[in-house]
Amino acid sequence: MSARGEPAPEFAAHSGRDALPEEQRSLLSRAIRLEWISIACTAVTVTMVASLAGQSQAMKAAWIEDALALLPPIAFLVATRRIRRGPTRDYPYGHHRSIGVAHLVAAVALLNMGVFLLVDSTISLVTVERPPVGLTVLFGQAVWSGWLMIAVLVIACIPPVILGRLKLALAEPLHDKVLYADSDMNKADWSSSLASIAGIMGIGLGLWWADAVAALLIALSISRDGVKNLRAAIRGLTDGVARTFDEEEPHPLIARLEQRAQEAPWVLDAAGRVRDEGHVFHVEMFVVPASGEVVTGAMCEDLRASLHDLDWKVHDVVIAPVAELPEHQAFHRG
Amino acid sequence: MSPSTSRRGVLVLAGSLIALGVTGCGAGIPRDAQGTLRRATGGTLRVGASQNPPWVDITADGAVDGSEAELIEGFAATIDARIEWIPGAESVLARTMEDDGLDVIIGGLTSDTPFSAQISPTRPYATVQAPDGSTLKRVLGVRPGENALQVALERYLARASGDL
Repeated sequence: MSARGEPAPEFAAHSGRDALPEEQRSLLSRAIRLEWISIACTAVTVTMVASLAGQSQAMKAAWIEDALALLPPIAFLVATRRIRRGPTRDYPYGHHRSIGVAHLVAAVALLNMGVFLLVDSTISLVTVERPPVGLTVLFGQAVWSGWLMIAVLVIACIPPVILGRLKLALAEPLHDKVLYADSDMNKADWSSSLASIAGIMGIGLGLWWADAVAALLIALSISRDGVKNLRAAIRGLTDGVARTFDEEEPHPLIARLEQRAQEAPWVLDAAGRVRDEGHVFHVEMFVVPASGEVVTGAMCEDLRASLHDLDWKVHDVVIAPVAELPEHQAFHRG
Repeated sequence: MSPSTSRRGVLVLAGSLIALGVTGCGAGIPRDAQGTLRRATGGTLRVGASQNPPWVDITADGAVDGSEAELIEGFAATIDARIEWIPGAESVLARTMEDDGLDVIIGGLTSDTPFSAQISPTRPYATVQAPDGSTLKRVLGVRPGENALQVALERYLARASGDL
């Protein structure tokens, strides 16, 4: 044995992808597939809407919206590729945080879409834009274009409803906030299509303001989702305490980690700080040894392994033995 | 208002509007935002004419001639309307239309009219080749949002051009 001791047993996996257990890894592959399908569906929808509506101003707005819906899936795919890399001298913590960056991108896209719709529909209302919707000749039959638009919008509604639900189901077991934000984006997508359907029906009944009012209502709820996700993404990137995938509460793992540390026979007291690196957590555990205990590297190593085994999300653990808990870190004392 | 409330609101709005539309279906949809077609039927259709032969040719005595004048006269006959002619430049007519002073504008307009905020172009009744080789789509202009009038006029144009 050298003077510096044995290298620590390496139970922590290297890259963000290796950090995932078998089940999560297969969920991640499913999520990647879902996001590729999302991109394909959006591409088809954009083409469909663009070919139907030609020069109309309203449909230009719809195009920008659809393009924004592409951002979360792209961000997700880039981030999941990035986390395959392990830690290096330049990136000692690894690349887990790319998930946080993708979450930020998705949140900004969502907020953008909400604000864009909000401004667009407010302008239509204030300037009293009465949307013209004329006639289309289809296979020798004259049809009001509104019916065709509604048909296309109903079709365009279906994929985001299904994809959004599937993504939401994966967001929790993967602890993936990008997927969560993207499912919000899908919700924004189908609900704004629904608003357009209501709007076109309103136009058909001679209610010129129906389109703008429906869009305004939906824009409010999309903006709210955008702000919620933006705050969550910034909180995560600025080392806020790790929270559940839906940001509802501080992650319950934190209390379990502190409890397990306190249960170690040589530990008198322990307090941890846990941040969300994206999928996985980074844990720093301050421990106060019981009086008379001589702390050895092996004891710390055992504790590290024991905390690590608690959950797959506990990825990177640092044990810091201290004489007493730093006052500004002992939150659990309440 | 929570996000789910406003989403539910729109869902209910969409549902009730579709129900309304389907039950009162058929000829009733689309309706005009300001009832122009109903007002013009059996009454007066206010047509802005911008000098642009051979589509619109305003003679010295104030009579309006040209292929588009004939088109709109044909349409007016189908709804039993008398035409009130208002001559003027395209830009002036566009402003009059914005102030609700016109129902239709003719003047050899093309689908890429710069006044698309004030004038809603009909579907093209003819496609012609411009001298520079690009294609021009000939349209008439309707008051935006008067969708019953727009659909009625477009139906007439489609029949006249043989699309229907």
